[in-house]
Amino acid sequence: MELFLMTLTTGIMVGGIYALVALGWVLIYKCSGVLNLAMGEMTLIGAYVTLSFYSMGVPFLLSLLFSLIIGFILGILTERIFLDRLIGEPVLTVIMVTVGLSFFFKGTLEFLWGTDTRAFTPPVFSIEPIRIGPLVIGSVYLWSFVAAIILLVIFVCFFKYTRWGLAMQATADDEMAALSLGVSARFVYAAAWAIAFMAAGVGGTLLGNINGLNISVAYLGLLVLPVVVLGGLNSVPGAILGGIIIGVLQNFCGAYLDQYFPGGVKEIAPFAFMVVFLLWKPYGIWGWERIERV
Amino acid sequence: MSTTFLPCGEYHENYREDHAWWQTRFIKTKMVLLMLVLFIGIPLVADEYWLSVCNQVGYTILGALGVQLLIGFCGQVTLGHAAFLAVGAYTSTLLILEFPWPRLLIDAGLAYPISIFIAALIAGVWCVLFGLPSAKVKGFYLILTSMAAQFVTVDFIITQYISQIGGRGQAFSLPVGTIKIGPWVIDSDLKVYFMMLVLVIVLVAAVVNLLRSRVGRAWVAIRDNDISAEVMGINVVQYKLIAFFVAGFIGGVAGAFWISNLAAISPEHFPWFWSLWLVGVILIGGVGSIHGTIFGSIFMVVVMELLQMAVIPLAASYPKLLMDFLFIKEAAFGLAICAFMIFEPNGLAYRWWQTKNYFNLWPFSY
Repeated sequence: MELFLMTLTTGIMVGGIYALVALGWVLIYKCSGVLNLAMGEMTLIGAYVTLSFYSMGVPFLLSLLFSLIIGFILGILTERIFLDRLIGEPVLTVIMVTVGLSFFFKGTLEFLWGTDTRAFTPPVFSIEPIRIGPLVIGSVYLWSFVAAIILLVIFVCFFKYTRWGLAMQATADDEMAALSLGVSARFVYAAAWAIAFMAAGVGGTLLGNINGLNISVAYLGLLVLPVVVLGGLNSVPGAILGGIIIGVLQNFCGAYLDQYFPGGVKEIAPFAFMVVFLLWKPYGIWGWERIERV
Repeated sequence: MSTTFLPCGEYHENYREDHAWWQTRFIKTKMVLLMLVLFIGIPLVADEYWLSVCNQVGYTILGALGVQLLIGFCGQVTLGHAAFLAVGAYTSTLLILEFPWPRLLIDAGLAYPISIFIAALIAGVWCVLFGLPSAKVKGFYLILTSMAAQFVTVDFIITQYISQIGGRGQAFSLPVGTIKIGPWVIDSDLKVYFMMLVLVIVLVAAVVNLLRSRVGRAWVAIRDNDISAEVMGINVVQYKLIAFFVAGFIGGVAGAFWISNLAAISPEHFPWFWSLWLVGVILIGGVGSIHGTIFGSIFMVVVMELLQMAVIPLAASYPKLLMDFLFIKEAAFGLAICAFMIFEPNGLAYRWWQTKNYFNLWPFSY
C-alpha cells in the first residue's frame, strides 16, 4: 500500500513536468498545425543553458530567467528561419523539418557540452526528503511539481486574460476569421514557438535536476508524444491530464512490472500504451475528431 | 513525374516498346555501360576505403528502398524502419550461430543465403505486426506507432532479451568464415561489394516491377487519396499490409546483408537515428522515385565522407572537431534535411528528371 501511494505521488509529480512540456507542444500544433518532433531537444537546450549559468555562479532563479529569455529568442528565430517558409506545405515536409531541427540542435548541443552526465552543483533542491504522513517524497519532485503547476497556471491565465493570448486562441480557433479581425498570424506563430521553447526549457531544467542532465533527457522530452496523443492533439486540458496519466503509468510500470520484465519497461511502457490507446480512441480524450471528405 | 519524354523524332510502334524498361537504344547503351562500370570499373579502380564507402551506399539504398516504398508509394510514413533492419540482422545472425545446420548445407555454403531469406520473411511479418494500426489510424498517428516499433523492438526486445541468447553479452561476434555463399567466404570488402551489387540490382528490379503491377498501382492510389481508393474498390487494409510486408522484407534483406560487413552486431547498429537517416535519404533524393532512393543514398554517404575529409586537416589545430565528428555529422544532417525541404522539396530526382527531359526534348523544349 505504501509503495502504491509513493508511486502514485511520484508519478503525479513527474507528470506535472510532462504536462508543462506537452502544453508547449499542443500550443504549436493548435496555432500553426506543426507536428513538432524536436520537443526533446528543445527541453535539452533550456536545461543546458540554465545549467551553464548556474555553474557560473548565477542564482538558480536568475539563471532560469536567462534561459527563458534565450528560449524566447531561439523560439522566434527558429520559427522565422525554418518554419515560416513552410506554411501550407504537406504534413510530412513540416514533420521532417522538425526532425532535421532536432538533429541540428542535438548535434550542436553534444558538440558544445559533451555527452557526460552533468549535475547541478551545488544541488538546487535539498537532498533531504519531505515527509507527509507515511509518504516520503524527494524534495526535487515536490518543488518541480509546484513550479510546473505555477507555470501552467501562468500560461493558462495568459491565454485567458491577455490580449496576445486571446489573439493566439482566436488564430487557433479559426485562422481566417482571426486574420480578418486584424490578428497577425505570423506574430501568433512566432509567439507559439517562443512559448513552447520557454515551457520546454523549464521542463528540461526540472527534469535535469532529478537525475542529472545528459542527452537522454531528450528522451523524456519525447514522452510528450504519448502525452498529447492521450489527451488529444489540440486540447490544452487534455495535455495536462495526459501528462499526469503518463507520469503515473510510467512509474507504476517501473514499480510493478519491472520484476517480471527486467530492463527498460519504464521507458517503453508509455509508447506501448500509446499504440494500444490509438487503436481504441485515435483522437485522444478531448481531441477534435476530423471528418474527412474526398 | 515518373514519365520521361522520348527524344525528338522517336516514336513507339507497338505496346511492347511502350512498356519496355529501356525504351531507346541510347538508354540501353547507357545501362550496359553503367553495369560495366559497376561490375568491372569500380572494383578495378577503387581502393579498400572507397569500396567500403560503396558498400555503405549500397546498404543505405537497401534500407531506404523499403522506406521509399512505404512513404513514397504507399503514403504510410514510417520513422522506425531500423527496427526491421535489426530484426533481419539478428534473425540471420542467430540462425547462423545457433541453428543446427546439416553438414551438407554448410559445406555447400547455403546456410547464409537461406538465413537471409528467413530473416527477410520474419522482418516482413514483424513489419506487418506494426503496420496493423494503419488499418485504423493514419498520418501523424501512424508515425507514432512506427516510433513505438523502433523503441519496443530495438531498445527493449533486442537489447534486453535477444542479446542474452547464448550468453554472449551485448554483442554477437561473427567468427571469420561463418558467412559463406556457395564456395565464396565473404571476408573482404570486394566480395561484400559484389554481393551488395547483386542484392541492390535484384531488389530494385523487383520493386520497380512490383510498382508497375496491380499491387503497385493500388499503392499509389492509396497514397494519393485513400478514401477514393476505397471507393474505387481497392481493399485498402490488405494492400497497406502488403506494402508493410514488402518493406519489412526488403529491410530484413538489408539487415541480413549488413552482417557480412560487420565483425559483430549489437543493438547500437540500429538506433533511432538510423531510421530517421533513412527517411532523410529519401527526402533528399526525392519522395516517390526509385532514382531518388539511389541518388539520396549516394549524396548522403559521399557528402558525409567529404565532410570528414574536410575536417581532418583542421583537426591538427582543433582536435575536438575530429573527436566529436559524429555530432557534427548529426548537425549537418539536420541542416541538410531542413535546407532540402525548404529549397528543393522535390529532391534530387526532380532535378535529374528535368535535366534528362531538357536534353531529350532539345532543341524544341516547349
